[in-house]
Amino acid sequence: MSVASEPATAVELEEEQRQVAEAQAGNLDAMRPILERYAQPLYGTVILPRLGDAASAEEVLRDTLATAVEKIRRFTWQGKSIYPWLRQIAINKVYDVHRQAKRSRRLADAMVHEIAVESDPDTHADAQLIADQERAAHRERIDEAMGLIADRYRTAIELRLIQELPREECANRLGITIGTFDVLLFRAVRAFRKHFGEHDGD
Amino acid sequence: MATDDDDILTGPVPAPEAEASPSERMRAKAFAELVDKTLAGRTPPPALSADDRALLEVATVIRAASGNVELPAAKRSALVEDALRQAIGGTAPATSGVVPISRARRRWVPWAISGASTAVAVAAVLVLWLRTPSSPTPLPPQARSLDALIGPIDREHAADAASRIDTIFADRLDSYRESLGRAP
Repeated sequence: MSVASEPATAVELEEEQRQVAEAQAGNLDAMRPILERYAQPLYGTVILPRLGDAASAEEVLRDTLATAVEKIRRFTWQGKSIYPWLRQIAINKVYDVHRQAKRSRRLADAMVHEIAVESDPDTHADAQLIADQERAAHRERIDEAMGLIADRYRTAIELRLIQELPREECANRLGITIGTFDVLLFRAVRAFRKHFGEHDGD
Repeated sequence: MATDDDDILTGPVPAPEAEASPSERMRAKAFAELVDKTLAGRTPPPALSADDRALLEVATVIRAASGNVELPAAKRSALVEDALRQAIGGTAPATSGVVPISRARRRWVPWAISGASTAVAVAAVLVLWLRTPSSPTPLPPQARSLDALIGPIDREHAADAASRIDTIFADRLDSYRESLGRAP
């Protein structure tokens, strides 16, 4: 399997094509390696960033994979990875969740800008490249919103949510008490949320 | 100072240096603990307020976009197995205790047993239905009908069932013996 940022080799694509063909011929077990390979990029770069809730994201991932197995006969191999097809199923499922739960689509809409890129039929990027591009696009959106909040808020988010340092360590670095850091992070996330996705008219 | 009435999601966010009210401190601490749990990979409680849920989702999005959220390998495999089983026709099971799909595919066995049992039952019903009904067992030629033997039962003799049964038994025994060529 290729690693992130490295394009899939012709051999890997050939293997994937063979597995898809086998599944389309009725051997659904042949889908297992494909699902195992793409579960993480679907979860980490497509579903979770649009839902923000790990439990719902896992359910959506399972439904996405199940739908892919059920509808594998409808998939047409076009000389590139099956990943964009899986990704589109996942995005549709995410919107279903937002619709059914009558949740705000703020998070999903905030990430909507990448969809057109990967849905372009002329795009022949392989799965890892697509996932990397998508992650970079998400990061860009995060950075945009981070750029609009106070420095101290940005630092609090960086330390706690990106570097994932313990609260005590974050407070020490900022020279404040844990209680004050808690307030700072609370306000920082509120401030971030106000700016996140606002370009989409939310 | 931030007031208790501030709307968490839509209200203005105080400046970083602004003094926090006791209620804001309390909410901030509760949120910090939620973040702790999420970072530790634990599921947040289902009964979260809409505000806390919205803020926690934003925190998760930031982490996910930074590549900090991995799906553990065991969970990934379980989800894949669940998805395969779900697609093949079962319901979506819980992610624990996942049965490999190769075993799940043996689900045709109970269906086969059930089908065979149904076929046997249908055949049995058909045989019973199509079979020529046999005539009721005739009385021995010598036996008398119960009307002739007992006749209508008066209300005052209703309790004499034992004597009536004896009468019928004696009559049937006589008939049987006659049919064998023996004298009663």
